[in-house]
Amino acid sequence: MTPADSLAIIESEQRRLSRRVQFNPALINAMWAAVWFVGFGVAYLGYGDDRTIPGWLGATVPTVLIIGGMVVSIAYGFRTNAGISGPARTAGAMYGWCWTIGFVCLAAVNIALGRHLSDSDTTLLWSATSLLLVGVLQASGAALFRDVVMFATGIWTMLCAGAAALAGVPGNFLVLAFAGGGGFALLAVYLHWRHR
Amino acid sequence: MSSDDLDPVIHVQARLRVMVSLAALAPDDLITFPRLRDLLEMTAGNLSIHLRKLEEAGYIVISKTFARRTPVTQIALTPDGRKAFDNYVATLRALLPGTERQPTEGTAP
Repeated sequence: MTPADSLAIIESEQRRLSRRVQFNPALINAMWAAVWFVGFGVAYLGYGDDRTIPGWLGATVPTVLIIGGMVVSIAYGFRTNAGISGPARTAGAMYGWCWTIGFVCLAAVNIALGRHLSDSDTTLLWSATSLLLVGVLQASGAALFRDVVMFATGIWTMLCAGAAALAGVPGNFLVLAFAGGGGFALLAVYLHWRHR
Repeated sequence: MSSDDLDPVIHVQARLRVMVSLAALAPDDLITFPRLRDLLEMTAGNLSIHLRKLEEAGYIVISKTFARRTPVTQIALTPDGRKAFDNYVATLRALLPGTERQPTEGTAP
């Protein structure tokens, strides 16, 4: 084995490993950027009397995309963490479960409240609270990883949640698609750049 | 400097691959034997032999615990092991001009 062989082995193994055992936050953020952009973009197009696509599509597409996104995130977490343990892994897994359990419980609260609200108020409630939760989790994750850029993204997302609520329906969907999805996209690009 | 300066414990393909895998984990992380074998696509016997060599050199620790009566073998790089791996990579780069790049740390946040 020559030194060049050794270096080639190290580099190819590191490439292989980074895909299999390292949780790549850039990948997950990129996926969520797409989910939010497409999901809430479709919700906007399918809402109201002047909708350009059928209403059921505007309700179904975001739901399916968000549930699918959660399944992919959890599966990805399990796959990269399989057989590996340690303080960093534990912290990461706990943080991951905050997202999943947070959103499941948020859905329960919003479904319960939605029974007493008009359609447009329900829509507003869902969009503003989910964006707010994303912002809070991003900012608290930033505290965990001591990351200023990620923290700023979280704060931006929280501000967008407030703006989405004030924008009213259906403008809130546009705030969600562009500001919410944009936050994830920005974070994905930044994390990818930092990961290299 | 010549190839003789390369750490003979690490400078064997199978053990080098083990070291790269372990160095890709965060400093206090442990990996189970089956997952490591699966990642490296080595046979259990072959992997055991190389792990023992690395353990004798003090580069890794092998701990055996029980999870609901099933024995679990976990492997982790020691601080000495990480240092030895970093030195090995630095020596390689010194031997190969034009490749002096920061060694990849490989620990995701």
